[in-house]
Amino acid sequence: MTMTLNHQKMNVLALLITSLSLAACSSGPQVRYGDSKAVETVNADYGSTDLQMIAEAMTRSLLQSKAISASKDAPIVTLAEVKNKTAEYIDTRVITDKIRTQLVKSGQVRFAVSVTEMPNQVEELKRQNQSGLYKNSTISKTGNMQGAQYRIEGSIASIVKNTKDVKDVFYVFNLNLINNESGLIEWADEKEIRKTATR
Amino acid sequence: MRFYQTSFIMCLGLAGVLITGCSSTPKPNPQALPLAQAEPAPPQNPAITAKALNEESKSIAVTDIYFKKEGKNLSYIEETRRQSQSSSGPVISSVITPKVMEVDADKADASAITGGPNSSAFPVKFTNLADPKSTDPSTSASTPVVGSEAPESTSSSNHIQTMKKSGYEAKNEYGELRYLANPIRGLLIKSGYKVVQARPSVSTPTQGDEYFDIVRRIKAGDFGEANYVLYGVLAEVSLTDNIYDIPGTSSSTQQVALDVVVDFNVIDTNTSQIVASFIGSGVGNEVKIDGKDNGFKHSMAKLMKLASISLAEDVQKQLAGQNFITAHPGSGPVEGRNFKRRLEDDTSTLKVYGK
Repeated sequence: MTMTLNHQKMNVLALLITSLSLAACSSGPQVRYGDSKAVETVNADYGSTDLQMIAEAMTRSLLQSKAISASKDAPIVTLAEVKNKTAEYIDTRVITDKIRTQLVKSGQVRFAVSVTEMPNQVEELKRQNQSGLYKNSTISKTGNMQGAQYRIEGSIASIVKNTKDVKDVFYVFNLNLINNESGLIEWADEKEIRKTATR
Repeated sequence: MRFYQTSFIMCLGLAGVLITGCSSTPKPNPQALPLAQAEPAPPQNPAITAKALNEESKSIAVTDIYFKKEGKNLSYIEETRRQSQSSSGPVISSVITPKVMEVDADKADASAITGGPNSSAFPVKFTNLADPKSTDPSTSASTPVVGSEAPESTSSSNHIQTMKKSGYEAKNEYGELRYLANPIRGLLIKSGYKVVQARPSVSTPTQGDEYFDIVRRIKAGDFGEANYVLYGVLAEVSLTDNIYDIPGTSSSTQQVALDVVVDFNVIDTNTSQIVASFIGSGVGNEVKIDGKDNGFKHSMAKLMKLASISLAEDVQKQLAGQNFITAHPGSGPVEGRNFKRRLEDDTSTLKVYGK
């Protein structure tokens, strides 16, 4: 009798464990979409809000510069390097790409391929011109690429201070528009960001 | 006393008149002013328009591009003269071994004289054989070597004299390049000129620089009834083959370029006046990506065509700059892709952050 009771208890326990396990397996991580432009304050490190602030401030300032606004034709610009002088890993290319996108959308600037896009450009020209596969009148011919009048380059630097309870980060993003022929810096601006995290 | 008083008063009066004359400013001459202010305008050709050309029926002849190729024949002569004494008197026999090598003038100057590659073939200094000073025994580059085969003490002696002579002979070639001027003729036709065919100029074997005497050709009627002659002389032509790395890639480009520089004059056939003068240049390029890896061989025909078209475009620009033709005759529409597209700022794409 006692043995039967024990067996019954064990069966109930096994069922309970199985059902709990099944319940645990069926419920996954909760996913939800958020506002991509919402202010992100997870920590004081470089984040999406910093990227958006920098790109928008620089784009607005650049479009108001004399080199762009006073130009009769849309000047041709190319992206050069933005140096990351901070201790963090920051993909500066994302910043310049975002600036480039907004400038192109404004219609006041045209962009020539930058050094990073050159391998694909060269391969495409080679494919069209030297494979012998294409109709001559439709080929994008070698030697007709347009040189950029200006290049955009800059840097991002940071000053970080820590105490037991406070972390203070100061970012300064600097961008220059340089005339490729004359070497003159036609426009320059900077964006400063201060972030303080407390426990 | 009265006389002195009168004289004193007259002197005072005269002095007063003189002072007044000096202090008074001259009245401006209204007719002289414009002459003084107007600066003579620089002499300029009156602009010739296509309409005016059609009305006046102006014609022009375009010569083929003249050239002069300077060459030098390098000569190196070894003469071995043997003198032997016989009973009937001295007998002289000589063996002459000439060597002639034709090279470009600049190469002759650069290599042979300064000890370049030709020096090994001709191990002596080269002088102009046509120059009397250089052939003068005292100044020539001859290197006499005198040796004797037999001791001088013997009664019958043999003397061997070896003479080395070397020098260059200037050789100029004159002619016309037939294939560079046609695009220029085409642009002049587009401008409204009637282009007259010129008679070709043939050089003689003993031709000198009088080959470039265009006035002589005009007077000889080589250009028919043409009002103007556009006359060009090839200044320089060069073919370069360079390889360049493309930054940011592992590729390179091989670029072969034909550069042509021509000195042009436009001459009024009635007055022999030069009405336009300039240096035109053209370049034909052939570019191959990774050409060095694929054994790329350029096409000279393609380079010539591109260079002649480029030269014609430059000639057109220069002639327009000197008011000889209207600018951009027959050119296509201006590229319309670079007009600035100004859009209204879409406020939804911009977000303002307060500090």
